[in-house]
Amino acid sequence: MTPQTGREKRGFWDRLLLVDRRWLYVVIWLVVMVPMLFPFDIKPEAMPPVRKLFEYIDSMPEDKSLVISVDYTPDTRPELHPMAIAALRHGFATKRRVGVLCLNTVMSLGLAEGALRQVSEEFNSRATTREDSIINGEDYVFWGWSYPIITVLLGMGERITRVFPVDYYGHRTESLPIMASLKNYDDMGIVVCIAGSSIPLSWVNYAHTQFGCQIGCGITAVSAADFYPYLNSGQFTGMLAGMKGAAEYEELVSEKMVELGYEWDLPRKGTEAMSSQTAAHLAIMAFLIIGNIAFFITRRRKQ
Amino acid sequence: MNVAADPWVWVAAILTLAVFSFLYRENPFYRFAEHLFVGVSNGYAITFYFHRILMPYLIEPVSHGRDLWLIAIAMVGMLYFTRFIPKVSWLVRIPIAVVLGYSSGAYIPRAIDAQILQQLRATIVTRSSFATTLAGPGWQLGVWSIIIALGVIATVTYFFFSAEQKGILKPISRIGIIFIMVGFGASFGYTVMARISLFIGRLQFLLGDWLGLLR
Repeated sequence: MTPQTGREKRGFWDRLLLVDRRWLYVVIWLVVMVPMLFPFDIKPEAMPPVRKLFEYIDSMPEDKSLVISVDYTPDTRPELHPMAIAALRHGFATKRRVGVLCLNTVMSLGLAEGALRQVSEEFNSRATTREDSIINGEDYVFWGWSYPIITVLLGMGERITRVFPVDYYGHRTESLPIMASLKNYDDMGIVVCIAGSSIPLSWVNYAHTQFGCQIGCGITAVSAADFYPYLNSGQFTGMLAGMKGAAEYEELVSEKMVELGYEWDLPRKGTEAMSSQTAAHLAIMAFLIIGNIAFFITRRRKQ
Repeated sequence: MNVAADPWVWVAAILTLAVFSFLYRENPFYRFAEHLFVGVSNGYAITFYFHRILMPYLIEPVSHGRDLWLIAIAMVGMLYFTRFIPKVSWLVRIPIAVVLGYSSGAYIPRAIDAQILQQLRATIVTRSSFATTLAGPGWQLGVWSIIIALGVIATVTYFFFSAEQKGILKPISRIGIIFIMVGFGASFGYTVMARISLFIGRLQFLLGDWLGLLR
């Protein structure tokens, strides 16, 4: 009887440690899906790195442009696309001239074009005057992609139209009205590089170090720890880290748009995901705690 | 429930489910999706490079008799293909040398400034470290600056292998390990957040764009 009882007691914690990982996937699936269908109210509180980026864009001189470097691919879309959408809304709502380019890979082009089309349609579908409209070539330009990165970044310090003789849609950039006041880094208030790789560091190395251009970044959460030193040193003006960073920035932009009279109920993918994100984090913390308890109990019993 | 009518949404949804099926076990649906992704990505990239790089920057000007010097540059680039001919495969070193030389020359001076000097400067605690900014009150930022400076010294000490870690080096390197572990913890936490975010993105697509269950 005694060995039987001992096996039963040990069995529970052992079984817990040996549970098939597919059951964990099922739990995570449910934990993410249920709050998505029945969300609870979470208001993301903007952290200093996010607030700094927002404040900088918001307060930069009117004659300075916002440039967004879209350098993510479909695999990091859920984290980074909401940042691009929010940055475009911020730029258009505050009447900034906006330049968009891709540096990393051609796969970013479709995502950048999709974001531009979506946000410009949001504004244009509600526009009643020219001032409210967002026009390609006048209010924004999509330069497209060019290569190699070093040549592009150094060349943009002299003349953007030499690096991008034609834009993504095939127009001669020299002929676009917006390019008259967007010649090189001197005309840029800030470059926000949204990337799933180390491209923001290339912007720091060349555009910031050599030309003194302000750089902000939107990055995946997995690389956030690597980028914090550059935020601390002031080489990044501000930083959006992961989906949470996107949600915080969306919240600030949303408040700003309401303040400016754009009381539109626009989709905010980052904010909408926060219920699922929170529930999943709680579940993973529970897994960690239970797993550690099980580990220490079984180890003590073995000893 | 408002299921998508767009056939491409259905294709994307079915491929997403095919990839997710790997969580159960490896299977032909997953392998099909994987191979399709590699093929489509490569096909897209090659076509794009041809139309957006080779055509406007090489073929078009040269075919109109402009910038004929580009032919010489193209010839150097073509040497990459000598890799497939064993007798002359050494020629591949020429374009590699050009690219490496150019990249290193452009990168190293700026990297020394951006990645070393400015990072070192950021660890120096000065009076301005205690200035109140958007990031928080001055005393708080000052304390963090001191912690960062101590962390850098302790961590660099841990990786100081020129002397045996005993005496004063031992406790400092121990503190360095703590900083390194905190760094690993932060990285792991962020990694979990990133992976969950990606899964959320796919579920937003499946439940929202495909099945129309979300707003």
